[in-house]
Amino acid sequence: MRRLPLEGIRIADLTMVWAGPFATKILAEMGAEVIKVESPYAWDLVRTLIPQPGEPEPWNSSYYFNDYNRDKKSVTLHLQHPRGRELFLRLVERSDVVIENYRADVLDRLGLGYEVLRERKRDIILVSMAGFGKTGPERDQVGYGPIIEQMAGLASLTGYGDDGTPYKTGISYGDPVAGAAAAGAVILALIHRRRTGEGCFIDLAQREVLATMIGESFVLASRFGRVPSHRGNRDDRFVTQGVYPARGEDRWVAISVRSDSEWKRLAELIGRPDLAPLTAAERRARHDQLDEAIAAWTRERSADDAAEALQQRGIPAGPVRDTADIHDDPNLNARGFWVKLPHPRMRPWRQPNTAWRLREARPHPRRHAPLFGEHNREVLCGLLGLSEAELEELRREGVIGDAPVDPRFG
Amino acid sequence: MAPPLTGVRVLEIGGGIPAAFATRWLAGFGAEVARSEGPADALTQEEEWYLLARKHRIEVDDATLRQLALAADIVVEDQKPGTLRACGLDPEELRREKPALVIVSITPFGQESPYADWEATNLVAFAMGGIMSLTGDPHRPPLLTGGKQALYLGGLHGFGAALAAYFGALQWGEGDWVDLSLQEIQAGMLELYGPRSEYEGTGPSPRSGNHVRAVWGLYPCADGFAGVCALERQIPALFALIGDPALREERFATLESRAEHDDELQAILYNWFAERTKAEIVALGTKHRVPLGAVLTPLELLENATLRERAFFEEVRTPEGRAEMPGRPFLGLEWTPPFLESPGESTERVLAAWLGGAE
Repeated sequence: MRRLPLEGIRIADLTMVWAGPFATKILAEMGAEVIKVESPYAWDLVRTLIPQPGEPEPWNSSYYFNDYNRDKKSVTLHLQHPRGRELFLRLVERSDVVIENYRADVLDRLGLGYEVLRERKRDIILVSMAGFGKTGPERDQVGYGPIIEQMAGLASLTGYGDDGTPYKTGISYGDPVAGAAAAGAVILALIHRRRTGEGCFIDLAQREVLATMIGESFVLASRFGRVPSHRGNRDDRFVTQGVYPARGEDRWVAISVRSDSEWKRLAELIGRPDLAPLTAAERRARHDQLDEAIAAWTRERSADDAAEALQQRGIPAGPVRDTADIHDDPNLNARGFWVKLPHPRMRPWRQPNTAWRLREARPHPRRHAPLFGEHNREVLCGLLGLSEAELEELRREGVIGDAPVDPRFG
Repeated sequence: MAPPLTGVRVLEIGGGIPAAFATRWLAGFGAEVARSEGPADALTQEEEWYLLARKHRIEVDDATLRQLALAADIVVEDQKPGTLRACGLDPEELRREKPALVIVSITPFGQESPYADWEATNLVAFAMGGIMSLTGDPHRPPLLTGGKQALYLGGLHGFGAALAAYFGALQWGEGDWVDLSLQEIQAGMLELYGPRSEYEGTGPSPRSGNHVRAVWGLYPCADGFAGVCALERQIPALFALIGDPALREERFATLESRAEHDDELQAILYNWFAERTKAEIVALGTKHRVPLGAVLTPLELLENATLRERAFFEEVRTPEGRAEMPGRPFLGLEWTPPFLESPGESTERVLAAWLGGAE
């Protein structure tokens, strides 16, 4: 039986919303024991972000929360209470990694900065992932994913090109990008600790990580003082390229032509052999007109049929999958990407499998996201050695809780 | 403190953006990366300067490449499925010969699947991952996010997955063959929209243009574009900052009632943003703890005070000129200085070091 790479690693997880939980979801899939620590007074707001009218415990039945918090354990600790803080530090003594994505000043205000943690566990790894990092004039800014996308330069590059307007990506794109980087940072720090015996403090700025995803545009800017113009769905090298209307409402097919020979095959396929001899330069000059010719063909077909026909001729093409039909994508389904897991409060639905497919160790989601405080007894009594009576006392004093106090939306 | 991956040998094969970006970070953190060139036009010149920093560029035949793979700790490749096997580097065979070896394959659709043979570019891979359907104006076609995000996401996850498998090899003595698909990476990051469509059965989520809602979107401002992303907890501070007395009225009090008056709220925000510059808006956001931002360009970011203070950028110099580019992705572990080689420059040196003069 193959073991998962991170088996034996324990992570005390203070992260909330999306970027941090995305990181620790990956780490849990890789075999780490992730103990998610929330406060009865400051829970992961994603639990209650989506209104669920009539639901008695909405914080335990959010599909949004579930998909990014699977395979974790949940402990509730009021960190501003001295006993809550002390219990967290006892958990740190038994952990390999602490990870948090609070605003830059919050961890220190809680009295849980790196030096404090190090006093309790000499080789602790702390990964902080504030939006703009722990230092610098912008450090106290609230860094949600859409803000990160603006401040990292990415939004400035996105646009149709005819209206001068930059566009946001349709998801909070900065979050899962920072999350994937943070997961890598944790593992890199574990490798470093294994080689040197030393822990470390990783200061990851979500904005900086996202800026690394458009590195070549900084080369252009610093060499020539230029920024790329908005290209819509077009490309400098692949002419023609675009997203074309297919049969049905709001259905689209993406097509990229990389060479003259691909263009020739496309022109023949769409019944326009007269266009086949056009060179890339000619196609560039007549892009709008050629888009019309391609669209006249795609409109008569489903996006899947159009893509299939193009792919059979070796031309890159694919349907634009939306948030519903992606669950029926034949490729994802053939690979077993969508999985169903039992959940005590929710009916089964198709959730994404782990993207890090280790073909031999075979990581996969094993358990639904934890209910609020579900593992208080297991962790506080089992791991930290508290008695049942102490647990009851903590509950009475409001240091731990089985439900958020005064829950509101987000 | 030595860089954390000092002495780790990485072989990059194929060399498009996915493999080259994954190994860029491995090289930066100290790994010795040998890059076997892919097709000559795999990268633009700007991409080469950015992605090939610190890499030892080699030109070898397939038989030698196989020896190098067996001398490596990690192989990262982004060729079409089956290409490695056709060159005599069958991943399963390499794994059997060297149990600790990690191989990371990054492809648009995965190794074995109905679309494994499909051709894809950044656009096609982005279209098929779901994010594009949410991006752009609802009355216009779906819009490609800037740069080459589908390909970069492959590299980003390639870095982490390579390290995960490598750490597994350190812990348990067994490496792995990692099969990353650009489509899966994206299909697993559809925020609340993916699971909502599936769980609530409400059909596809629409493109939201630049406004998910009034308090979550982009607006023109005095010198460009700026934005806001306020959740319920930040609404009071945002409204106090804007200061329009209308915002104290009942119709703006709750998430539901605001949704019914979203146009009116947008109108107030359009006016507020129009009167302020990007710098003013960012400063107000920080001061009042309201999530406000500005659409900054790479040119502006090169002068950004925070990035300067944190020494984010690194410089490469070549006979053709110099460029500044993003450096270390995070602080806390040693990152090495960059250099750029020409194609094939390190062939002899890498062969001697990795194969001990067997060539």
